[in-house]
Amino acid sequence: MADEGLTPHRRDPIKSSVGNVAAQRRRQNAVTVGKERRESLVRAKRLCRVGTSGDSEVSVDNDMMVDEEQSILETQTAAAVEELKGKGAMHKRVDALRELRRILSRFEFPPVETALKAGAISTLVQCLSFGSPDEQLLEAAWCLTNIAAGKQEETKALLPALPLLIAHLGEKSSLPVAEQCAWALGNVAGEEEELRDVLLAQGALPPLARMMLPNKGSTVRTAAWALSNLIKGPDPKAASELIRVNGVLDAILCHLKKANEELATEVAWVVVYLSALSNVATSLLVKSDVLPQLVERLATTNSLQLLIPVLRSLGNLVAGDSNTICDILVPGHKVIEVLVKCLKSEHRVLKKEAAWVLSNIAAGSVEHKQLICSSEALALLLHLLSTSQSDIRKEVAYVLGNLCVSPTEGDGKPRLIQEHLISLVSRGCLPGFIDLVRSADIEAARLGLQFMELVLRGMPNGEGPKLVEQEDGIDAMERFQFHENEDLRNMANGLVDKYFGEDYGLDD
Amino acid sequence: MAMEVTQVLLNAQSIDGTVRKHAEDSLKQFQEQNLPGFLLSLSGELANDDKPIDSRKLAGLILKNALDAKEQHRKFELVQRWLSLDVNVKTQIKACLLKTLTSPVPDARSTASQVIAKIAGIELPQKQWPELIGSLLSNIHQLPAHVKQATLETLGYLCEEVSPDVVDQDHVNKILTAVVQGMNANEGNNDVRLAATRALYNALSFAQANFSNDMERDYIMRVVCEATQSTDLKIRQAAFECLVSISSTYYEKLAPYMQDIYSITAKAVREDEEPVALQAIEFWSSICDEEIDILEEYGGDFTGDSDIPCFYFIKQALPALVPMLLETLLKQEEDQDQDEGAWNIAMAGGTCLGLVARTVGDDIVPLVIPFIEENITKPDWRQREAATYAFGSILEGPSPDKLVHVVNVALTFMLNALTKDPNNHVKDTSAWTLGRIFEFLHGSTIDTPIITPANCQQIITVLLQSMKDAPNVAEKACGALYFLAQGYEDVGPSSPLTPFFQEIVQSLLTVTHREDAGESRLRTAAYETLNEVVRSSTDETAPMVLQLVPVIMMELHKTLEGQKLSSDEREKQSELQGLLCGCLQVIIQKLGSAEPTKYVFMQYADQIMGLFLRVFACRSATVHEEAMLAIGALAYATGPDFAKYMPEFYKYLEMGLQNFEEYQVCAVTVGVVGDICRALEEKILPYCDGIMTQLLKDLSSNQLHRSVKPPIFSCFGDIALAIGENFEKYLMYAMPMLQSAADLSAHTSGADDDMTEYTNSLRNGILEAYSGIFQGFKNSPKTQLLIPYAPHILQFLDSIYMEKDMDEVVMKTAIGLLGDLADTLGSNAGSLIQQSLSSKDFLNECLSSDDHMIKESAEWAKLAISKAISV
Repeated sequence: MADEGLTPHRRDPIKSSVGNVAAQRRRQNAVTVGKERRESLVRAKRLCRVGTSGDSEVSVDNDMMVDEEQSILETQTAAAVEELKGKGAMHKRVDALRELRRILSRFEFPPVETALKAGAISTLVQCLSFGSPDEQLLEAAWCLTNIAAGKQEETKALLPALPLLIAHLGEKSSLPVAEQCAWALGNVAGEEEELRDVLLAQGALPPLARMMLPNKGSTVRTAAWALSNLIKGPDPKAASELIRVNGVLDAILCHLKKANEELATEVAWVVVYLSALSNVATSLLVKSDVLPQLVERLATTNSLQLLIPVLRSLGNLVAGDSNTICDILVPGHKVIEVLVKCLKSEHRVLKKEAAWVLSNIAAGSVEHKQLICSSEALALLLHLLSTSQSDIRKEVAYVLGNLCVSPTEGDGKPRLIQEHLISLVSRGCLPGFIDLVRSADIEAARLGLQFMELVLRGMPNGEGPKLVEQEDGIDAMERFQFHENEDLRNMANGLVDKYFGEDYGLDD
Repeated sequence: MAMEVTQVLLNAQSIDGTVRKHAEDSLKQFQEQNLPGFLLSLSGELANDDKPIDSRKLAGLILKNALDAKEQHRKFELVQRWLSLDVNVKTQIKACLLKTLTSPVPDARSTASQVIAKIAGIELPQKQWPELIGSLLSNIHQLPAHVKQATLETLGYLCEEVSPDVVDQDHVNKILTAVVQGMNANEGNNDVRLAATRALYNALSFAQANFSNDMERDYIMRVVCEATQSTDLKIRQAAFECLVSISSTYYEKLAPYMQDIYSITAKAVREDEEPVALQAIEFWSSICDEEIDILEEYGGDFTGDSDIPCFYFIKQALPALVPMLLETLLKQEEDQDQDEGAWNIAMAGGTCLGLVARTVGDDIVPLVIPFIEENITKPDWRQREAATYAFGSILEGPSPDKLVHVVNVALTFMLNALTKDPNNHVKDTSAWTLGRIFEFLHGSTIDTPIITPANCQQIITVLLQSMKDAPNVAEKACGALYFLAQGYEDVGPSSPLTPFFQEIVQSLLTVTHREDAGESRLRTAAYETLNEVVRSSTDETAPMVLQLVPVIMMELHKTLEGQKLSSDEREKQSELQGLLCGCLQVIIQKLGSAEPTKYVFMQYADQIMGLFLRVFACRSATVHEEAMLAIGALAYATGPDFAKYMPEFYKYLEMGLQNFEEYQVCAVTVGVVGDICRALEEKILPYCDGIMTQLLKDLSSNQLHRSVKPPIFSCFGDIALAIGENFEKYLMYAMPMLQSAADLSAHTSGADDDMTEYTNSLRNGILEAYSGIFQGFKNSPKTQLLIPYAPHILQFLDSIYMEKDMDEVVMKTAIGLLGDLADTLGSNAGSLIQQSLSSKDFLNECLSSDDHMIKESAEWAKLAISKAISV
């Protein structure tokens, strides 16, 4: 024990067996591979979201941006594409792609044109070939995403890449890759109808639809966004096709019910286009449980981004299917309540859309009209009629007009609901309508005239003409005496003749 | 209280197994039933000069083992146990121990001094036993020699056991004075002088203040140098060991002494006995280590803020140092190449020469070439071998430009020697030198290729031929091939090795089957070389790699056939299984990295997994590390389909995670959990309860090596990324752990480099865990659950930013986490981030970083934050 006090320092001989180093390196390599894959997974998740800045218009203050000369930038771009064309090892190719992607995403006016001239597309298509490593696919798809976000001609340059981008949406692809491809395709689809037709013909819709099914994590939102671009129409075929894809309807319901607001927003846009374009889709959506979900979302969210598509979907469904109104106005349903909330909103779009939905409801049964009349909505509508911008006023005029008539029965003139008319007029709505008559907007003027006709015809004891006269209605109508629009001219002249003709005033 | 234990202690050393077993049981029983009595009895036994030396030594050894253990947790228990003992008992024990230091029996004294040091190691940090050092040092001058020797030995052990900060400077001064006086040439007693010299070795780390004082340092250095001239071999050896230690601890104080030290070491290397000469060479190797470190830091970033400047001692000593080292190369031992543990003056000299080359670079070449030219063709094998060895040693360091011409000439010479030299050593070193040439002068980074289409075939033919030579030569030939293949790893679509691929693989497989492949680690070298050949291969040879799969599988299958193995055979079986699993790991990685080969490979996946499971089943308590690594590779290749193996594999995964003792196994298994998470994604969910339970246990255990903890945190992140919001149920366990670890790792002030490095790896693990959790919850309705944790995380980011000591990796992960937090929590995080102390500064710093990964993470974080704030 005494002699072992010190163990002399022994270092490893320079001439040693390769086995020691090699095994150590191999082990270290396994650790590194794990780290790299974690790294690329995390980056992929983040990177895909960077793309989202494209539509949400985040303003990043420019003071930190590198203010580089355009020419330097162009040189860099061309160099990056050249580098990419080189036959480097795989990791070098990924580096080159990353560099190109950084250039294409970093600047306010990305040098897309230069990249295209340098031949970026064909090289990027190469990088998308089957069996390429995920990171390469991801970077290439991302480059294409940024190119697709450019001008129309630049977007069209993507045509050769579309089949591969679509192919990588499949089940076999990793989610980050599929998501990035969806992003690129969404950009393309958003550009114009012709490109949408190409994508649809190449089969982009079914895989995108499957990506929307729940449990696909972050891809759902991107897929929904891309789909909403793809089914924009105006041809309704794509919308009808989408709603028939197995599981899509359930997925929409599920996301509307459970998803966070960002995802729900994209899904709601899909519903907007489905309900706007396709009767099949509309009736399937109505039969499903979608309406309560939309109403619930309207009630609970304050996000303008989400409120708009949800409200529009609701309006589309109400307008598109007459049964809908019965469905949503079952007792205890808070649809009027949420619409009131929108009417109260400060956002013009919301007010307008809410009024539009109400006008469709007001076009329904007498019970529906009574529901609106007995709610807080009426006061708001009256207020809006006199104070808001013209487009809102028009929608409001539809609501108020519809409240006073019941569905037409064959002979043209709508049947009056005198009770409602009296109530509205007594609450001072007439000046608002007469203002509309004076509007340069023909549609608004027609609405004003139509309401005036109701007043003239329907107010008891012949009070109508007096009221109209008091509010300078005659003057307003006379402006149409020689109006170029025949319809309006006849209508106005007819009313003046009928109610303010030779006999007018004789009773007094 | 003390009892008679002599006979039991003697019986415990009996040759008769039954007697021994019985005695050991009695001792154990005594200890368990009455610990104070047991320890008192032992110390009494040790102190009693009437007792036989054997029982006294064993008594001391048991005492020592009752105070300390290798495993951290056990050590902690023993320390607590000692501290809670009755004070009177401890006082009696200590008195016995101090008394033993005066015993005439050397072994008793020496044992006692070690036990005293152990107790000091426990008590001094608790501010207990304050009188110990004083009492040891009082009247040390008047003590009889043997007591003085024991006292100095005790002080030496004490300095080894306790850390310098628990001994006040006054005591340090006294200890050093006593030690240096004991070392003095005037000290007539060699035992005292040796004890003092060895004590100084341990006391050097206490002497910071004294080395800053010129007078004291001069004195200490003079005494050490004098001791290197002692007539006693052990004193000279111990004195040189002090010099080696000083060279690394006080490098910046050495300049005034280098001239003298050079003369002393040169004389020792040339004339002294081997143990002393080895330490003299080690001094120079150690100086090289220091200068390589310093110069590396210079080169890293030219901030010039390295604490210690380079004094270029090696460069200055070069003209004298190199010839001295070259001389040592001629002192080879006959069988050194066959003996794996060999270490002699020639090996040490060559190793040092290699370090010198790395320190000074080009300057060494003209000093070594004449030696090579003069000796390489001499009839004496020693001269040829020494010349070759010298050449091989200097290939790392000098620039390729400086070497390429010589190497081109030498290459042919080496190939020739490897084929034709009659001497085994010369062949061995020639093959090794070829390997060094390929390691440092061949590959995509070298401008002028050493290997050309003209000589490639010859090189390969010679290497394959040499694989049939003696095991040590064949092993070195494999090594050369290993580096040859490695140099082609980035070669592109076509590799010059392709035409030879089949032949190389066949030759290596043949080597693994040699009867004598167990010698000189030949089999290991052959398999590892095969792995490297596969790893560096190109698509051209993918079909041949595929053909290798069933071959290796069959080999692995064969290892599973044997029945009833002896423990020796079992160990060999396990080693061979390790090599084969390692080979499969590399093949799976290779074939799995491209779609077409992966597709074909997958037909074997079920069978391979079956084999791995059987390898696991060979052992009862532990899992096979290499098989575990290979399974990680298989999981990547199979992806979500790996789920089908989980029911059977899970128990081994759990077993691996439970393996505290072999922490490398635990670490590898934690890594494989991450691999499987990425492969299975949400399909791992059913196993997460078990895995999380085990990981949490690992974290709260003080038995597990600390290096495994950062990867465990990262693994939390992997799991959260895979299962997303389902991680919800683990939040209540994982988050508090992360928070307390974050608090611990927030500050490093005062820690040494190792500790700072560890703290940074811990921070990185914690940050990766948080990032994974936040990203996992992104887009889920449950993000609200994370809001309560955000303030603490931001605080953690603030504090590590303020601390200013994070490395690049931590910086990148940290700024990424800030982005994840903003991204996932959106407006909920916006105001918190705006309120945080340093988020903005941190972000700006990262945005202007030169590291493009940091910059990229920062750009992303910036976007996420501006979104969160704008809502």
